Amino acid sequence: MNPTFTMVLCAVALGLPTVGFLVNVLTAGRLPRRVVTILGPGLVLGSFVATLLLLVELLSQPPAHRGITIFFWQWLNLSVGSAGGAVGHAGFNANFTVRIDPLAVLMMLVITGIGGLIHVYSVGYMAEDPGYNRFFAYMNLFITSMLLLVMSENLIFLIIGWSMVAFASYALIAFWYQRPAAVTAGRKAFITQVIGDVGLVLGSFLIFLNLRGSNGQLLHTVDLQTIFANVGPGPHFHNGLGLLGGGMVTVIGILLFVGAAAKSAQWPLHTWLPDAMEGPTPVSALIHAATMVTAGVYLIARFHPVFQQAPIAAGIVAAVGIGTALMAAIIGCSQFDIKRVIAYSTMSQIGLMIFAVGVGAYSAGMFQFFTHACFKALLFLAAGNVIHALQDEQDIRSMGGLSTRMKLTFAAFLVGSLALAGIPLFAGWFSKEELLSSGLALGPAVPWLWVLGVAVNVLTSFYIFRVVWLAFGGQPVTSGAAAAHEARPVMLIPVLVLAFLAAVVGFLNIDFFGFHPVTVFSSFLQPVLGTPAAHASDGIQALALVVGTLLSLTGLALAWGVYGRKAISPGLISQRLPWLYQLSLRKFYWDEIYTATLVRPTLACAGVVRRAIEPHIFDGLVDGVQEGVTTLAEDLRTMQTGFFRDYALIFFVCAVIGLVVLGLRLA
Amino acid sequence: MTGLFPGFLILSAAMFALGALGVMLRRNPLVVFMSIELMLNAGNLALITYARYTHTMAGQVFALIVIAVAASEVVVGLALITGVYRSGRRLDIDALSEMRE
Repeated sequence: MNPTFTMVLCAVALGLPTVGFLVNVLTAGRLPRRVVTILGPGLVLGSFVATLLLLVELLSQPPAHRGITIFFWQWLNLSVGSAGGAVGHAGFNANFTVRIDPLAVLMMLVITGIGGLIHVYSVGYMAEDPGYNRFFAYMNLFITSMLLLVMSENLIFLIIGWSMVAFASYALIAFWYQRPAAVTAGRKAFITQVIGDVGLVLGSFLIFLNLRGSNGQLLHTVDLQTIFANVGPGPHFHNGLGLLGGGMVTVIGILLFVGAAAKSAQWPLHTWLPDAMEGPTPVSALIHAATMVTAGVYLIARFHPVFQQAPIAAGIVAAVGIGTALMAAIIGCSQFDIKRVIAYSTMSQIGLMIFAVGVGAYSAGMFQFFTHACFKALLFLAAGNVIHALQDEQDIRSMGGLSTRMKLTFAAFLVGSLALAGIPLFAGWFSKEELLSSGLALGPAVPWLWVLGVAVNVLTSFYIFRVVWLAFGGQPVTSGAAAAHEARPVMLIPVLVLAFLAAVVGFLNIDFFGFHPVTVFSSFLQPVLGTPAAHASDGIQALALVVGTLLSLTGLALAWGVYGRKAISPGLISQRLPWLYQLSLRKFYWDEIYTATLVRPTLACAGVVRRAIEPHIFDGLVDGVQEGVTTLAEDLRTMQTGFFRDYALIFFVCAVIGLVVLGLRLA
Repeated sequence: MTGLFPGFLILSAAMFALGALGVMLRRNPLVVFMSIELMLNAGNLALITYARYTHTMAGQVFALIVIAVAASEVVVGLALITGVYRSGRRLDIDALSEMRE
């Protein structure tokens, strides 16, 4: 690779959305809409072109050399000189460096490619909105932050990108700031993100403080490649991160996972994601489905050398992932808001990815990320078309009969649903079956986790086809649904492009048919992520594939039976298993639990402080200062008698005192 | 002549003290004004005494400047007093105390 050319491409990819953000912000909404319409999506697509060129650059190299670190500038230099430095401290440098390797480029392709399509879609979706310029400013900021996060070769800039992403997400969830629900949801998301940030930052601190090099010296580095090169197994393992031996690396793994869980909406930090659906639909598609929420998966994949050394932390990751996947899938079956169903489905799918990276099937997890980004963005945008056509109606009970009124949107939504459900030959089928069979081969508690995973399959295809039949099938329920019409081309074309992608990207894993361990996709990522530690035998993989596919089809058939043919009453489960139905409808009561255990006690403490401490201690302190000054002033003002002789007397007395003092000093 | 220097200094101090007492005790602004003049001249006397004592001219020059300043001060002061008198107010310093708290 030509380093200069690569550097220019990186600068262009990262710089264009930044320019878009700055121009939009600095003109403070005065830019004409026509200009923003070209600038907002155009710059992101420009960034996509630069990323494609990076991909070409990367592919022109032999696999072993597909990784380059590009130095931009020195950001911080705290080198401790040999005179002042304690032994073992090498000083501290932080540079703005980016890493271009297959994993980063894959993330960048999804961010700028799918991000660009969603920007184009937003031109139509947000056309009527008074905050048009602000919307594109935030969206461009998000793209910049996300690119910074995935490109950074440095813990510091990774954390900066990580937090900027959270801010952009907050700003976009609370985009319609006149709606109290949106503002509350934004705040909830941001607070949850900050919990994750704290985990990530603490984990980074521990790495920084404890990582030792091959000669046993503390490295004090924030460069990711140096970190990964030194945490690996070998004679230095117990030195590397070795304050507590293997314990330290476990702590670090768990802390990093706290960050990942907050970003990726995994239990117990998942409650913000459904509320985040208060934001505009393109935001849900871009941030809360395709890119930001998968940053946790990226983090764990990127830090896989750490997790490989921390089997306990990795086990927790896998268990939490699969648990969240199952829980969210159960909740998704009973929700009525079309966006919330898709949001829970996102949570569930990301749970599967987290499970995959937890058990060590990194490339399977990243492949699921890749296909999921395509079909989930598609589902959200198609749902956005529906919501737009129905004048902001989101309840699937008020839809129905849309398949004849919005033919193309319906076709696209159907493709997305088939991909999500894992119906053969659609993207999700390839990724999910690979993921589950890897889980079967690598999982710590096989086959129980795998059983839970395929249970998710049934639920997934059930809840998404429930939406398909309720929203698109049958007859229109309301006059709004009857009057629905197809979306504008600017909103339809991105949806159709995504539908095409959702139908075909699975074939990147075509070697899966031969049960070959290395596929196009995984061999692309292999230089970064390595090959999985174990593979299931062909027979077991085939069995897993058949069982998984059959269960997906079962879910589809079930949804058809209940909502298509109406042969089974939807009330059957709520009558037979009322506790399960309530659990699903009330979202496993997590919001209530958090309200009872966190919000209420905090408010109670605040109430005590307000009633007891605030008025007496703090107010008393402030009032005391004020009263003291007043009293002093009251006393001092009596000096102003207005009698000339008093002033003269004071003047003379002071003069005499001064003279005496002066005389004594001279004497 | 040299033996008289302490006497001049004592006279100067006595004049200054008298002036200061006058400033502090009298209520008629004209008398206060005269007392200030007395203090200024006490200062002049001390300056000239030291000038003679040290055989330098600085003290005498300074005394001339003080006389000039005193003259201009008299102009301002008398104008103020006349102004107060014209406004029909009693010439009593204690009564002129609007500026107090």
